[in-house]
Amino acid sequence: MTIKEKGYSHWDGEFSQKKLPWWPITRYGIKLTLKKKFFKLVYALALVPSVVFLVGIYLSERLEDFRVMMEGNSQLLKVDPALFKTYLTNDFLLFMIIIILVFTGAGLIADDIKYNSLQLYFSRPLSKQDYLLGKASVLVLFLLFLTLVPGLILFIMKLIFSGGLKFFGDFPLLPLSIIGYSIFMTVFFSFYTLLLSSISKSRRYVIILIVGIYFFSDILFAIFFGIFRSPYSSLFSLKVNLQQLGAAFFGVKAPYDVPWIYSLLILAGICCLSGVVLIRRVKGVEIVK
Amino acid sequence: MSIDIQNITFQYGKTKALDSVSLNLPQGAIGLLGPNGAGKSTLLRILMGFLVPDKGDGSVLGYDIREQQSMIRRYVGYMPEDDCLIPGMDAVSFTSYLGELSGMPRQEAMKRAHEVLFYVGLEESRYRRLETYSSGMKQRLKLAQAIVHDPRLIFLDEPTSGLDPHGRQEILELIIDISSKKDIQVLISSHILSDIEATCNYVVILNKGLLAAQGKISELKQINFCLFELKVKGEPENFFKKLTDLDCKMDETEDGMLRIYMPPQINPQEIFRIGAEENIQIRHFVRSESSLEDLFANVVGVD
Repeated sequence: MTIKEKGYSHWDGEFSQKKLPWWPITRYGIKLTLKKKFFKLVYALALVPSVVFLVGIYLSERLEDFRVMMEGNSQLLKVDPALFKTYLTNDFLLFMIIIILVFTGAGLIADDIKYNSLQLYFSRPLSKQDYLLGKASVLVLFLLFLTLVPGLILFIMKLIFSGGLKFFGDFPLLPLSIIGYSIFMTVFFSFYTLLLSSISKSRRYVIILIVGIYFFSDILFAIFFGIFRSPYSSLFSLKVNLQQLGAAFFGVKAPYDVPWIYSLLILAGICCLSGVVLIRRVKGVEIVK
Repeated sequence: MSIDIQNITFQYGKTKALDSVSLNLPQGAIGLLGPNGAGKSTLLRILMGFLVPDKGDGSVLGYDIREQQSMIRRYVGYMPEDDCLIPGMDAVSFTSYLGELSGMPRQEAMKRAHEVLFYVGLEESRYRRLETYSSGMKQRLKLAQAIVHDPRLIFLDEPTSGLDPHGRQEILELIIDISSKKDIQVLISSHILSDIEATCNYVVILNKGLLAAQGKISELKQINFCLFELKVKGEPENFFKKLTDLDCKMDETEDGMLRIYMPPQINPQEIFRIGAEENIQIRHFVRSESSLEDLFANVVGVD
């Protein structure tokens, strides 16, 4: 007799008290992202800078062996907080992060709005915070594997290659800087993406916004800087604000002579705006129309 | 009682969506009826814990509607009216995913997803991507996700909308199976009165935020009115007026048949007496079998 013929049957299991009720959302988000065409290739490409920097750190410990190759360029291989700052704020990595956000984050909320899936989530014992945390965690995990994990690995590899803890003794706060800046950058990009993903039903439109706003802010900076020659024009650019703040985290000279607190306020302001918009756009009560 | 609410009042700004509604619903399938703006959605929102009532108290499955919303949603299933899916998933992943979100362990959710997909008749297509599903299949899938965690109470919002007659019949049979053979309560909100009549024996009718009627359908029909069909000859204006004064409601069918909804306490002979007074010939007089549609029309006062 088939299940259908037997009629409805009860489930005899028990509900588990999950500590992380949002984890299934994150797990499925990651699974769906990994299924996307070219994603793995793009992600691997985004990890190229970490490999390059790793090679650089290795060479810095083997300068004697590579004297001929590195003649006159040994300054390039100076490993200090500035190198880690350069890794985490280089244009290529930031560009690849934007591309990863396009793959991972564009449809996170936009698809749920388009396909009315919010109703399905909120008819479950999930709060709005659980839902948003589940979605944000997809971004957080992918971004931390591009920033925090390579950053810490580079630091550890430097210690291994140097065969001692002198480097740690010289820069004891460096691991904290890597952790702090990576987390800040990840949180910012997660808010940025969720904000844009929540304001449209169309994934394509969200992609345009994610890429467009990032580059347009940079163009705006270039235009204002060209006209006024004021370093404060850099505050228009998301990229430069991140780089300014990166310099503050790693205690190195900022690219522009503008207090880092302004950049922090701008980026934090975007996160707050995102929070407000998300709370307004993602409403459980609308599941019953 | 699965649903027990007292004097629930809720306002959107100055608009009163629900006004002192009290319900005490028995087991089985219950129909929730009312015209647009009657307060059905607001009631469902309150019962699912999305809105906290301005006044009144109540419980769903024994959980307080003000304090234990999350527990209510754990033990309640909801089948939305709109098409809703998660793109990129197949039916098995989709159903087990939603089971997991309800709190089921992952392996159990997967096993149960297969079972409910078989139950709703999607066994053949359970590995197909949801975007390729037809309307009927989506409707079955919505039912599957609503029952995957074996809820004790299911809210069905327009469960047969967009279905062809065959698909509709199949969904109704599933609902009847769930509600009649198992101890699961089903609350169906629908505009299709025949669906309610086919699946439910108890009905709640809301109108303008007020509880217009609740009870067993068979009893409500008798309590609320007696329906007579008649054909008359003559000038009926005064005849109608006098019947209206007796709280009767009237409508006329396309073939000229006059339908009179008469309060049960009034003697049907009054129709003949008034007819005689107003020189009306009554050429056809039949006590009609009333339907839920008649009850709805009488209680809500709409066609």
